[in-house]
Order: sequence, then C-alpha cells, then structure tokens
Amino acid sequence: MRYVDEYRDPELAHGLTAEIRSLVAPGETVRVMEVCGGHTHAIYRHGLEELLPPEVELVHGPGCPVCVIPMGRVDDAIALAETGGLTLATFGDMLRVPGGRGSLLEAKARGADVRMVYSPLDALTLAGKEPGRHVAFLAIGFETTAPATAVTLLRARAEAVPNFSVFCNHVLIEPPLRAILETPGLRVDAFIGPGHVSSVIGTDAYRFICEEYRRPVVVSAFEPVDLLQSIAMILRQRAEGRCEVENQYTRVVRQEGNERALAAIAKTMEPREDFEWRGLGALPRSGLRIRDAFAAFDAERLFALPDARIEDPKACRCGDVLTGQLRPWECGVFGTACTPERPLGTCMVSSEGACAAFFSYGRLRRPREEASVGA
Amino acid sequence: MTTWAGCATCADEAMAARVLAVDGLEADVVVDGRVERVAIDLVPDARPGELLLCHAGIALERLEETE
Repeated sequence: MRYVDEYRDPELAHGLTAEIRSLVAPGETVRVMEVCGGHTHAIYRHGLEELLPPEVELVHGPGCPVCVIPMGRVDDAIALAETGGLTLATFGDMLRVPGGRGSLLEAKARGADVRMVYSPLDALTLAGKEPGRHVAFLAIGFETTAPATAVTLLRARAEAVPNFSVFCNHVLIEPPLRAILETPGLRVDAFIGPGHVSSVIGTDAYRFICEEYRRPVVVSAFEPVDLLQSIAMILRQRAEGRCEVENQYTRVVRQEGNERALAAIAKTMEPREDFEWRGLGALPRSGLRIRDAFAAFDAERLFALPDARIEDPKACRCGDVLTGQLRPWECGVFGTACTPERPLGTCMVSSEGACAAFFSYGRLRRPREEASVGA
Repeated sequence: MTTWAGCATCADEAMAARVLAVDGLEADVVVDGRVERVAIDLVPDARPGELLLCHAGIALERLEETE
C-alpha cells in the first residue's frame, strides 16, 4: 500500500538501526521521550524497542488525550449525560474511561443516552435529526482534534442549531511539555515531537524546548521507518553538538502549521486559567474553553455541572507513567487489577495509552528478558 | 496512513484520504477503500484526486505526494 509500504521497508529500517548503533557510545544511556500516544502505540506494535541498542531508552510521554483526562471531568460528563432529554455524544474511547462514578458506558447501561460518534460534526447532524433532544458533544483531544470541534461550533452558529452544545475538554501540548521539562531530576535527553498535532501548530511551536531547555526535538510521522529515522536524526544532532527542532514529517508538517485550523480554534475557543491533568495536576493555560461569542453552544454554561474534583486511585500510577518516571510494567496493578478489559487508570483505556500498548504488544517479551537476566 | 483500529481521539488516527468529489465544504474521500464524507472547511480549495490528511471527520491538511 502506497504511503505505508515504503515506511515499513525492512532494509531501510535495518540501515537506520545500524546508523543509530553507530551514533551511541557503549554503556551510555540516551533517553528519548515520544510525546504522542500514537508513537507509543507504533513503537510497541512494531517492536521498535527490540531493534534499538540498549543505550537508547524510549520514554513514553503524555500525548494520549484520553489518558490525561482527570476523573472529575468524566464524572461531570456522566452528570451531563444523565440530564433529562439530553444525548451525550463522544468518541468511542472516552466511553470506557473510569471516573469516580464509573464510566460513561456504565452510565449508558443505567439508562443515560450516550452515543459514540466519529466526529463532532456527526453529533451536530444528530442534533438536526432529533430536534426534541439536546445533543451535547464531549470534546477531548489536543490541537489535532480541536479544529474539528471549532469547525463544528462555527457551523452550529451559522446554522443556528438550537439543541446542540459542546462540553469542551480540549488541551494544549505546550503546557504539559513545560511541566515535564520542569520536573526535578528530569531524565529525558530529547523529544520525538507529535506528528499530527504539529500539522496544526507547526514545528516552530517546539523551539522553546531547544532554546530554554537545550533538548533536541524531531517531529516525526508514525510508521516504523519514520520513527527510526527520527531517532537517528536526534542522535545526529547530539553527535554534531546541535540542538534544534527538525522535521522528519515533511510530507505533512510545515514550520508555521495550518493557519486556517489555528484561526478556527482561536475564533471559537480560548485558554482557561488552568486545567486539571491526570498525573500532572492543574497546569496554567493548558486547556481550552468556549469563547463568549459561542456561549449558546457551551454545555458548561447551559447546564449546572458538578465540577467534580476526584483524586486518582492510590494504586494507579498513571501520573508517573505519563511523565516518564515509571514504565508501565513497573506499576503494581499493571496487568492484574488494571487491564484493558477493566482499566483502573486511563493509560490502560486507550490503545494509545502506554499501559494498554505495552499490555497488547510488549508484555510477552518482558518476562522472558527478566527471566534471562535472573538466570 | 495507518491501518489499525486506533483511537479516534488521538492524532495518529489521522488518515490519508484521496478526494473523489467536492460538494461545497464537503468532500467524498476514499479512506482505506471506504468512501467517507469529510468537511473541508480548513482545505476549502481541495480538488478531486488530491490526498488529504483527515481526522475526526474533517480534512486537516494536504498530503504532499513525493516519490
């Protein structure tokens, strides 16, 4: 398949692996954080860690939008879904995220009208088809998904749809990166930048990582050859004493991003004072809310939501996993109390969550390695 | 771009889609062999035959075709 096969070419992958080996000194450790959950999924799915020399350690970052949603926001969404005459529409993966009062799927089982959609535009269409009900779309996601919500809000206003609103939980990528970079004792040497978020915000958005924190960044696509090439580019920067934002995903990402998408977001949404992140706490100006001009479509203004604040379960260490301080299998409940079928933490819910990706693809390898070390 | 059933909320679920026909701010595109309708508000000058990066029902960007 074109645009897939060439980026999975074994010869190219082996050539890049050899180059990566040549760029590290035996015994040193280079810790590279992939920010995006899609990269985490691809790394485990294609077994890329097995191709890398032991000197290169991949750290999984906070870029899975499902994984960073705090339990309180899930409870708010459940309260919204239980409003009489209201249909709550959202993406499939959000349905299973556990809050303090269970998940949206469990709320649906109790009688709430919760529906899965692929796009916020589908939720808007649903509102048109069911004029007797109010349809609220539970919006989550980084800058990649926010444009779809923005376009939906613009259309809802243009069409004066009276029975549609958005419960906005969109987040921005820069604040959690800054929070990670400010973590005392941070052990991350470089970043693989998210691919499709960058198609919206552009590569210039990461310059602060090089200029203020002296860590190289390479924005990467998602296929195995893409990721290996990005790691090689990071190591080349290191070998040559450079610290820059480089773009491996040139077939999509531009330096300045997508001006139309950014304008649509800016027209409909604005940063909140702060937003609660799972594992990272409240981060200033890290989430988006709906602007006053679109207040008629803002579920938070239309409905009295509890604004629930709930602490994560003590046994769940999603926060440490999201900040790269703990690897999935090092969490005490990984694969036992917390599995994809019955997730305790959000990292086990989405297929892009580090724990779910490792559970699906990596856990069969790990016991063998540990067994051989112990032998 | 990707062919697995990933998470719709995640950026990696963005798919390469070939434009079949344009109808105002909507376009019929082929994704993984299926025809889907996407909004092209952000790429309003999209033309049949072009490859678009689509996510959550909208086209985000053109995909540059290079050999």
